[in-house]
Amino acid sequence: MGKLQLQQISKSHGNHHVLKDVSFHVDEGEFVTIVGPSGSGKSTLFQLIGGLYPPDHGEIILDGNTLNNSRGHISYMPQNPSLFPWRTILQNVLLSSEIAGQKDTAIALELIDKAGLGGYEQAYPHQLSGGMKQRVAFIRSLNSPQSIICLDEPFSALDEFTRFEMQEWLLAIWEQYRKSIVFITHNIEEALYLSDRILILSDKPASICKEISVPFPRPRTEDMLLSEPFMQLKREIHDELRGR
Amino acid sequence: MKHLLKKGWRPTLVIILLLILWEIAGHLFDIPAWLLPVPTQVWQEVIHGWTHYSGHILSTIRLTLTGYAIGVIVGLAVAIVLFRLPVLQEALYPLLILSQNIPIIVLAPLLVIWFGFGMLPKVIIIVLVCFFPITIAALDGLRQTDRDLLHYMKMTGATNRQIFWKLQWPYALPSLFSGLKIAATYSVMGAVISEWLGANKGIGVYMTLASSSFKTDRVFVAILLIMILSLTFFAVIAWIEKWLFRWQRQGGNSSNG
Repeated sequence: MGKLQLQQISKSHGNHHVLKDVSFHVDEGEFVTIVGPSGSGKSTLFQLIGGLYPPDHGEIILDGNTLNNSRGHISYMPQNPSLFPWRTILQNVLLSSEIAGQKDTAIALELIDKAGLGGYEQAYPHQLSGGMKQRVAFIRSLNSPQSIICLDEPFSALDEFTRFEMQEWLLAIWEQYRKSIVFITHNIEEALYLSDRILILSDKPASICKEISVPFPRPRTEDMLLSEPFMQLKREIHDELRGR
Repeated sequence: MKHLLKKGWRPTLVIILLLILWEIAGHLFDIPAWLLPVPTQVWQEVIHGWTHYSGHILSTIRLTLTGYAIGVIVGLAVAIVLFRLPVLQEALYPLLILSQNIPIIVLAPLLVIWFGFGMLPKVIIIVLVCFFPITIAALDGLRQTDRDLLHYMKMTGATNRQIFWKLQWPYALPSLFSGLKIAATYSVMGAVISEWLGANKGIGVYMTLASSSFKTDRVFVAILLIMILSLTFFAVIAWIEKWLFRWQRQGGNSSNG
């Protein structure tokens, strides 16, 4: 469960060609990151996977079923936390499972506890810091029956320190649950630190111009960030993005 | 209570000053009571005339509450239908505004001709003045739903019904409550106006009787009663609002640290 496949997806908004022949797959329990210049159609890609509208060409397949223009098969974490201000943290975490029709308070409470948010179950989002809100948003996406999670630049609004803390935290939690993840970012280091594979999107119209398997073993450590192979890969991706 | 005292002393002082000025001017210029009674005379009537008006108050309260309740239901129903069906909204929105341009004073006698002197025409008048602010406020609130939250709901695969009840409806509540508060004060006015037309009980009746027999002090008692009713009604709605949104007042840091 959780095997996603995109086959030659194309999409244009009016005369604006956004995606062209995008094909990739995400294996079960795999962490795949898509990097690309801003405005390269990353969000459009997610909206297609989310089924908000159909692609012009191509097919999106999850576990053997075609998903084109069909909603409710993925779970999602947006760029800003998008927590509901009138719901408590517990109620917010329950929201995704409520929508899917499988509400389970015990699991939600356990997730909150594991996320290091124990004691905040009855707090409201405005009482939490930015990093904590993102944690809530992530466990909300974990707490739904879908086997694949799409994360849309979830840490881009956080400061450097919080961001690194959150990346470590995300990996720790993810390694316990091992759902398939598609992660969008424009931060190369983040991509290398987190993922199994990195897909590089070209500029408009976007297609996948390079695929990189990240060779570092898990669990990942902070030292890795300063190692020579890491730097080399970082440079490679950087050059690719700059079109050299 | 302390908060109320701290904020309320200024307007209270102004009102007391005005009343004192009125009292002095009344005595100074020797104005006859049938023309303009002084506050103490009105107060005398408030105390001694209780048996004259107590029955009327109850009747007006009953009429107001009935009209308001139906007005809220109609207002919400119209708002929800128009919101869910944008085509209807385009077609009917101007009509809604036009419905507010008909002077109630003109419409009221017509309603009596059509529906007689019973409850019905009176309730229709209250509903007519009540539903509009509620509909407009609810529609505005529903339209202003946060785009990010809406996007999240769609990406997660929420159905339209789920999006409405879990997001759009709670999001519209603060706006809706401004409409409910306005409508609450309107409904008392609407009730009094509808009673002018012909009823056997109600503050409106008491008022017309008083003014046609030049019992001006009683007219002022009626005005006072209307004010107290409106304020109380408004306060009740405001209190419900405060209770519903108590989560906003829960303290904590809202910083992004």
